[in-house]
Amino acid sequence: MKNIMYAKISGIKWHAISIAALLGIVSLLPFSVGQYYMQVFTISLYYVTLASSWNLIAGYTGQFSLAHHAFAAIGGYTSALLVTSFGFPIWVGMLAALVSSALMGFILGLLCLRMRAIYLAIATWAFAESVRITISMTYEITRGDLGLAVPKLFSGKGQGLAYYYLFLGLAAATVLLISFIMRSKMGHYLRAIRNDEIVARVMGINTTRWKILAFIVSSGIAGIAGAFYGHYNGLLTPIMVDFNEMAFVVIMVVIGGIRSIAGPVMGAILIELFTETFREFGEVRMVVFALAVIAIARLYNEGAMGAVRQGAQWISRRKRAREGVA
Amino acid sequence: MVKIDSTLISQYIISGIVIGLIYSLMAMGITFIYGIMRIINWSMGEFYMIGGYLQYIIITQVLGVENWYVGVVLSMVGVFLLGMVVQGLLIRPMFEGSVEKRTEYATIVTISLGVLFTNAAVIGAGPFIYSPPGYYHGTHILTLPVSGTRFVAFIGTIALLSLFYLFLKKTWWGRAFQGAAQNRVGIQTAGIDVFRLDQVAFGIGVALAAAAGALLAPEFYIHPRCGSIATMKGFEIIVIGGLGSVPGVLCAGLLLGLIESLGAVFLNPSFRDVYGFLFLLAILAIRPTGLFEERERVA
Repeated sequence: MKNIMYAKISGIKWHAISIAALLGIVSLLPFSVGQYYMQVFTISLYYVTLASSWNLIAGYTGQFSLAHHAFAAIGGYTSALLVTSFGFPIWVGMLAALVSSALMGFILGLLCLRMRAIYLAIATWAFAESVRITISMTYEITRGDLGLAVPKLFSGKGQGLAYYYLFLGLAAATVLLISFIMRSKMGHYLRAIRNDEIVARVMGINTTRWKILAFIVSSGIAGIAGAFYGHYNGLLTPIMVDFNEMAFVVIMVVIGGIRSIAGPVMGAILIELFTETFREFGEVRMVVFALAVIAIARLYNEGAMGAVRQGAQWISRRKRAREGVA
Repeated sequence: MVKIDSTLISQYIISGIVIGLIYSLMAMGITFIYGIMRIINWSMGEFYMIGGYLQYIIITQVLGVENWYVGVVLSMVGVFLLGMVVQGLLIRPMFEGSVEKRTEYATIVTISLGVLFTNAAVIGAGPFIYSPPGYYHGTHILTLPVSGTRFVAFIGTIALLSLFYLFLKKTWWGRAFQGAAQNRVGIQTAGIDVFRLDQVAFGIGVALAAAAGALLAPEFYIHPRCGSIATMKGFEIIVIGGLGSVPGVLCAGLLLGLIESLGAVFLNPSFRDVYGFLFLLAILAIRPTGLFEERERVA
């Protein structure tokens, strides 16, 4: 009994220490890398937000939405258009981005989530393509493929740093919110829905309601991330809703480790760093990622995070074995 | 606004029927694979693209444009073989017990496969747009003047769909496929190697996409992302028609073509690709399982 208690406390302690260390590293990171890599890390934090929120709906809940990038674009364009056309302050635009993408998520979820999962994937995919075409075609409003110039949130000398901390805050809040959800009653419901929806319904869970709620949370986060991205990048184009962007998020989540809190975080940072570092290899990078994803899905489901976890278990087993001998 | 008279209306209706039927070829491939294996192949557009590239290479380098129909058959055979290999390597393992959630696995793997093929095409052929010469001179379908390619694609689609129908109804393989669609365990007890059947079904499904790609190559051109619009139409058709239903595909394909064509003339032509989606949403709201789907039995 005492041993178990000890193990538990030390486990929690190790978690706390590693999280604190991680936060320390990421907060101090901008001071140790150049301007260029600070931007790379800012973008990768944007992808951390997208990947984590997509993991909530696709990984934990098993509802394979393929419109996550479209929700980001809806958020981005909502905020940008409110600010540029109606002169609202940027924070109002961001709030509206959250509301509009969550609302779209609610409507789409209402239509598709009552059905089998396969319909959701197809309908969300068609939705995303339609959003892309609509943005391209309503060029009187969105300036179509020319791109919409968006006022920046920060300006001046320290703006890189300010953006970095802004995106860090968003990513950290997202990860915290999702780990909170997954520890709560809702998290158990969502896992139950993924494991077997019919059994979940038999057990008295209103599966449609929880699926829609998860979908709203996930699309809302994507929307606000898109708004942040717009006011950071200064330009929004329909490329944001290109299917490649969605495939990128899927690749990040699967390579990092689907259905874990740290997986999408690690996957997003790794993939974005890799993409930027090996820029001169062009399309070869995407081929490598695709092969990696296929290999992971085919051979080893848990991704990089699973490998780390198993490695850690292996080390502690070895350590325990050695202590046992001594 | 154009002045609308009866000739014009008839032209738009015929044009809608033509394009709707061509879309159906793609949808037939998707729904056939779904019917047998209960998975959606997300890399369908990439097989369409590969079909287009193969056709381009064959007719411009080897056979000459006048033999385009041989090229279509050869690109179908090429993509059929590629599909068999892909199925054997990636899809087959999910029926051998190592995969926890089949839908999720199939979605992830086929999406990655699409990314792989698209980028491999960029590496191999460059980000250029290729346009093979037209197959046939411009002509008329009833009152509608059409380009030679669209005419050829229309006739080719009718021929392929009829052949496919005869194959399903009259041959041993076709009957085996119908059996597999009804009950996979059942046909195994009848002594049929269902894994072999899966592999051939996947090959046939992607070969239909390749046929669409090869037939439409001069009309919609060939580039690494050229399959995306055709895939979108294909998915819309199968959701509207009902997953796994063959008459549903034809009916929904024609409906989609008509709605786009009439929407383009009466509303706004820029948004013709969005009307299909709005129609899909309407169908989902009114009849969630599509027009034709039999109720799914869940074991």
